[in-house]
Amino acid sequence: MTAFPYYDTPALAALETQAQKLLASFATRGYTREEPSILQPADIFLDRSGEEIRRRTFTLTDPSGRELCLRPDLTIPICRMVVESKTPLPARLCYHGLAFRQQPNSPDAPTQFHQAGAELLGLADAAAGDSEIASLAIDAVRATGIADFDVTVGDLAFFGALIDALEIPAHWRARLKRHFWRAGYFEELLQRLTRGSAPEQKSLLTALSGQSLADARRLVEERLAAAGLTPQGVRTLDEVVERLVEQAADEDASHLDEPIVRVITGLLDVSGPARDALEQIRALTAKAKIDLDAPLAAMARRLDTIEALGVAPERITFAAHFGRNMEYYTGFVFELRARNGEVIAGGGRYDTLLEAIGAGHPIPAVGVAFWTETMLAAGGA
Amino acid sequence: MAALTLAVPSKGRLKENVDAFFADAGAALGHSARGYRATLAGFPDIEVMLLSASEIAASLIAGDVHLGITGHDLLLEQAPELSGRVHLVKPLGFGHADVVVAVPSFWIDVATMADLDDVCAAFAQKHRRRLRVATKYIQLTRSHFAQLGISDYRIVESAGATEAAPAAGTAEVIVDITSTGSTLKANGLKVLDDGVILKSEAQLAAALRADWTEDARKAVANLLDRLGARDRARNSQVLRVRLDKNADAILARLAEEAGASLMSRPADSSGEYVILCPRPRLMQAIASLRAAGCDAPATTQDADYVFDTQNPLYAALSAALG
Repeated sequence: MTAFPYYDTPALAALETQAQKLLASFATRGYTREEPSILQPADIFLDRSGEEIRRRTFTLTDPSGRELCLRPDLTIPICRMVVESKTPLPARLCYHGLAFRQQPNSPDAPTQFHQAGAELLGLADAAAGDSEIASLAIDAVRATGIADFDVTVGDLAFFGALIDALEIPAHWRARLKRHFWRAGYFEELLQRLTRGSAPEQKSLLTALSGQSLADARRLVEERLAAAGLTPQGVRTLDEVVERLVEQAADEDASHLDEPIVRVITGLLDVSGPARDALEQIRALTAKAKIDLDAPLAAMARRLDTIEALGVAPERITFAAHFGRNMEYYTGFVFELRARNGEVIAGGGRYDTLLEAIGAGHPIPAVGVAFWTETMLAAGGA
Repeated sequence: MAALTLAVPSKGRLKENVDAFFADAGAALGHSARGYRATLAGFPDIEVMLLSASEIAASLIAGDVHLGITGHDLLLEQAPELSGRVHLVKPLGFGHADVVVAVPSFWIDVATMADLDDVCAAFAQKHRRRLRVATKYIQLTRSHFAQLGISDYRIVESAGATEAAPAAGTAEVIVDITSTGSTLKANGLKVLDDGVILKSEAQLAAALRADWTEDARKAVANLLDRLGARDRARNSQVLRVRLDKNADAILARLAEEAGASLMSRPADSSGEYVILCPRPRLMQAIASLRAAGCDAPATTQDADYVFDTQNPLYAALSAALG
């Protein structure tokens, strides 16, 4: 491997043959090819991706001081184009092109690679969308000559549904969901919520308890004036007051119970052959009287789809924690691995991204990306 | 050609402290007419280079110099993983400063990093963009925030006057260095309770990737022997006393109760024992002497250097060099 790949004639021919096969496979399902420019305004990547992607994004500044970047993926610029040009929905778009990532921890890993992918945007029927993208992924991988692969599936909706079913304050729910992505910190947060946190602002919170927003604001203003503090910056006094009032309301709320923590961690531990894993979840949540029927049924339908394509059930793994480290996914997630264990395709549902980049309302979205060089190494053409 | 290169800060408070440090160790820095070179009195095989503190950190990491004095913060910012690149020889006791997370003081709902995490999420929802953190410590900020699981933020690189960023509206939060906190306070900012990312001070550091020839090792062993001897002298007093009877029992008691160690015995029974006693425990040593029945007068002296057969600073460096 080298940080700066050089494509000789055979390598180029292999990539082009593979690209044609992938794009032809997408086309049979009505996906049309588009391509954003390589150089992109950096803002949207930096605002929408976590610091982890930012760390791996090549950025530069143009003479006017505008921050630019080399696209670290094609999904975000394609979504932005759809939002800005008000493309009629549902839209079926596909791409094949270079993406660029810094490799701060592995100086010999390539800084550019060819990524192919397909995005299904704005299809209201989520089950149909999930099934379509999973089928497209399996067909496309097979079209390049790779018949031997394993599938891993997961669904972040299990976790969301579980948290929603728990009797805990709303902002704890939000925090648990938000930190689901970072395994270590999440366990720590669970522990903290179980123990109960020592409120730093006890006296102020007690004073604010039960006050209207307007009264609370007056009280906070008095405190600030007494301490000689004045608001500055973009975050307003109202935001400070709102958060204090929210915290005051939580003061009386109970702590997270041990049995609840055991259900959460128990769910996250579920991993194994997909059908068995779903049974485990059913048993676990039935015991705690928590209803996860909807996500269970949705996952069973996806397994039906994948098995109907001829993937043997024993090659499909369900892992409840799968997708935890991929920040923008919101539901179904899946991954295809070649026999050598390398990931060759990965995708899932990301229903909040388009709204976050300016659509003004939620737009369902699901997609998949293919690691073309890895597929070639795994024996695909 | 010099066997070993040592990089020291070329200006400012840090330079003054470094000059004083070497002068105290009897190895004054001699600034020559050539502005960016200096000599170290008594160490002709060491060439001293004057660089900026951040250049010194970069040179140490790259292995362009053998030794250097710079801030711990700058080393960690430029190489989050120091092991294998830089060996910290000795903290120097000056250049103290903390790298801290500071927020506007009027955020009375925010006292901890967990609060900040909460605010990051609310801010992103409300303002449709991430909360901005102004800093020149990009790596330190990133790794600290990542450790705490905070990701809903964005770093804004700041070249100078970071503390003014919130008031100027270019960032909501800052990560910056502070020694007294007064600059932060003057800018309407407060440090979070658990917002200290690093307690930094000036470090004498060795570049593990430099070319460590036999001569370079000899030169650094000499220098560290001298610095260690000066340190030991500063931290101890030499105690002289006659011990007529039970000398060994008294010495054992001094060692146990005051950490004192025997340096030499008298040639005959009328001479004095020479004992090295940790400076802060001198009065304990005297009390132990008296309690053990010694009634001879005791005198103490400051030593310029206390050379030991051991050279622990060099031993640690040598182990790191392999």
